[in-house]
Amino acid sequence: MSAETTIKVPVSVYRFEPGRDSVPHYVDYTLDLAPHTPVLSALLKIRAELDPTLSLRYSCRSAICGSCAMQVNSKSRLACETPVGPEVEKHGKIVIEPMRNQPVLRDLVVDQKPFWTQYERIEPHLKLDPRHPMPEGAPNPMTPEEVERFKETPRCIACAACFSACPAVEADAGFPGPMALAKLYRFVVDPRDQARQNRLVRIQPEGLWLCLRCHLCTEACPKDVRPSERIRDLKEMAIAAQGATEPGSRHAVAFKNNIREAGTLNEMKLARQTYGLAALAKELPQGARIMRKKPEVRKRPHPIDGLDEVEKIYAALDPKERE
Amino acid sequence: MKLAYYPGCVAQESGKELDMATRWVCRALGIELVPFPSFSCCGSGFMDEANEVLNVAINARNLAIAEKAGLDLLTICSTCTGMLSLANLRMQDEKVRARVDGALKPLGIEYHGTVKVKHLLRVLTEDVGLAAVKAKVVRPLAGLKVGAFYGCHLLRPADELQSESAEEPHAFEDLLAAIGADPVYYRGRVMCCGFPIQFVKGETASRIGGRQILDAKTHGADAMATPCPLCHISLDAYQNRAEAAVGQRLDMPVFHLPQVVGLALGASPEELGLSRHLVPTDIALAKVRAAPRA
Repeated sequence: MSAETTIKVPVSVYRFEPGRDSVPHYVDYTLDLAPHTPVLSALLKIRAELDPTLSLRYSCRSAICGSCAMQVNSKSRLACETPVGPEVEKHGKIVIEPMRNQPVLRDLVVDQKPFWTQYERIEPHLKLDPRHPMPEGAPNPMTPEEVERFKETPRCIACAACFSACPAVEADAGFPGPMALAKLYRFVVDPRDQARQNRLVRIQPEGLWLCLRCHLCTEACPKDVRPSERIRDLKEMAIAAQGATEPGSRHAVAFKNNIREAGTLNEMKLARQTYGLAALAKELPQGARIMRKKPEVRKRPHPIDGLDEVEKIYAALDPKERE
Repeated sequence: MKLAYYPGCVAQESGKELDMATRWVCRALGIELVPFPSFSCCGSGFMDEANEVLNVAINARNLAIAEKAGLDLLTICSTCTGMLSLANLRMQDEKVRARVDGALKPLGIEYHGTVKVKHLLRVLTEDVGLAAVKAKVVRPLAGLKVGAFYGCHLLRPADELQSESAEEPHAFEDLLAAIGADPVYYRGRVMCCGFPIQFVKGETASRIGGRQILDAKTHGADAMATPCPLCHISLDAYQNRAEAAVGQRLDMPVFHLPQVVGLALGASPEELGLSRHLVPTDIALAKVRAAPRA
C-alpha cells in the first residue's frame, strides 16, 4: 500500500487559563496530515512539536475510555475517532473547543463535576431488597428476552458527549442529562434490581420530563446508546408505574386522551387538561395575546371522518383509559 | 405531482396561515394536494410517551389511508414528519406490527409499508427541484438575510428518518438561496426550539427558544423561517417570553417555510396570512419590497 498523501489541515484551538486569561482565545495552527489522522493525534502533534502548554484530556486512543470528548467544529465528538479529512472537507478548517455545559479548567479540559453529580443522583448501582436476599453464590440467570431489554445502554462509556450536546442541560440544572437517564433505564429494566418502582416514582419530579426529545444526544453519542429513545421508554414506564403526577406526564396523557375525542387536537382543552384550572389562570394573558391573532384556538375542532375507527384502535390498545 | 395532504392539527387551527401558504405555493408550482378528512393527529411526540404502540397504530391508520389512494404523503410539520416516519419504521418490528395489526385488521385496515412521508421542504428541493422553483420566482428576496430553523424531528434520529445530513443540513438554505434570499448559517439552526417542554417548564422552554433566536440575530439574520408550526409557536407566539428569558429584545420575524417561498413567487402578505403572526413581519417585508423586481 502506498503512503497516503498529506493535506494542509488548519486547526483553530480554544485556549483559556482561568486566572491568567480574562477571556478565551483561539490559536491557529496549520499541520500537514494524512486525511485519516484522528483529531486527537493532531492535537498531540501540536503539543509535542508546537506548544507544550496545550492542555487536553485523553487516554486510550481507541474510543473506549471516553476521555477525549470535545467539540470538533461545534459537534461533540471523541477526538480519537474523528478523522481530520472529512472535517476539513466540510468546514475548511477544524475548530476545537472544550465540551459544553461543564466549566473550563484549562484549554480543552473541563470540570466534569456537573456530569458526575447528575449521574450519582440516579444511584447507578444494583439495589437489592434486603428482605429477599439472594442465596449466597446462587446463579442469577437472565433470559435472552431480559437481556434484550437493556437495548444499547450497556455500551455507554460515560464520555459526556451527550451531556455537552444537550440543550436541556444547558438551560436547566434540574435536568439529569441524557447519560444519567439512559443509565437509569438500564437499572429499571434490570430484572435483578429491586428498586424499579421507586426509581420510576422518583424520577418523574426529578427532571425526567425536561427531556425535549430533540435527539441531539443520540446524534452525539459515539457508541449509539440512543439516550433520547430510552428516555421516551422511561416516560412511558413511569406513567405506567405511577400515573401522571407531573406537568409533563399530565401533558402526555392529556394529549393521548384529547385525540381520542375528535381525532384531532383541541388546543384549548389540552391547555386546560395539562395546566389544571389554577395554573391555567396564570397563562390567560399569554393565551389572550395569541387568540387576538389566532381566534381558531378557541374553537372546538371538527371531528375527523372515521372517528369510530380511532375509538376502536384506542379500545384495543389503550384499555386502561376505558371508562 | 399529486400527494396526499397531511396538514397536521396546528395548521388547521392556530397555525392556519401555514395551511394558507402551503396551498398557495403548491397551486403555483402545480402540486395537487388531495385532502383526506379522515386523517387523525400524528401524536405530536406526546401521545407515544403515554402509549407508543397506540401512537404507531394511529399513524399506521393514517399511512394506510394514503396507501389505499396510491399516494405519498405531504407533511408541512417537522414533528408530523418525524412521527409518521417513525411509525413506518416501527411497523417493521415484528412484535409492534403484530399488536398494531391486531387492532387495525378487525377494522378492515391494513398497512403494507409503501407510503413515503415527505415534508414540503423535501418535495420542493428534491421532487420539484430548485431550478423549477427558481424559474417561478417573480420577487427574489434579495438582501433578506434568513436563518433557517429546521426543527428536530425533520432531522433526527438521522438513521431512522433517513434524513439528509442531520448535522450539516443544507436543503433549507439551498431553497432560500433559490428564492433570492441570503441564508444565514448559525449553530442554533439544528437545535431545539423548546416547544416540547413549554407545558412542563415554560421558563426553561423559553430560554432554549430564546437562545436560538438570539443566535440567528447575532449572525445577522433579519428573519427566521421554519418548516415546523410547533417551532413557529415557540419562536413567534412565545417570542415575548423568549425575550424575557434571554433578557433582551429580539424583534425577530419568523416565517413558515411556504410563506417565504410564497413571497418570492408573488403571493401577497394577506394570501400568506402574515398578519396572524405575533411578531410583525413588516421589517422583513420592507427589505423585500425595497429590492428590485425580477
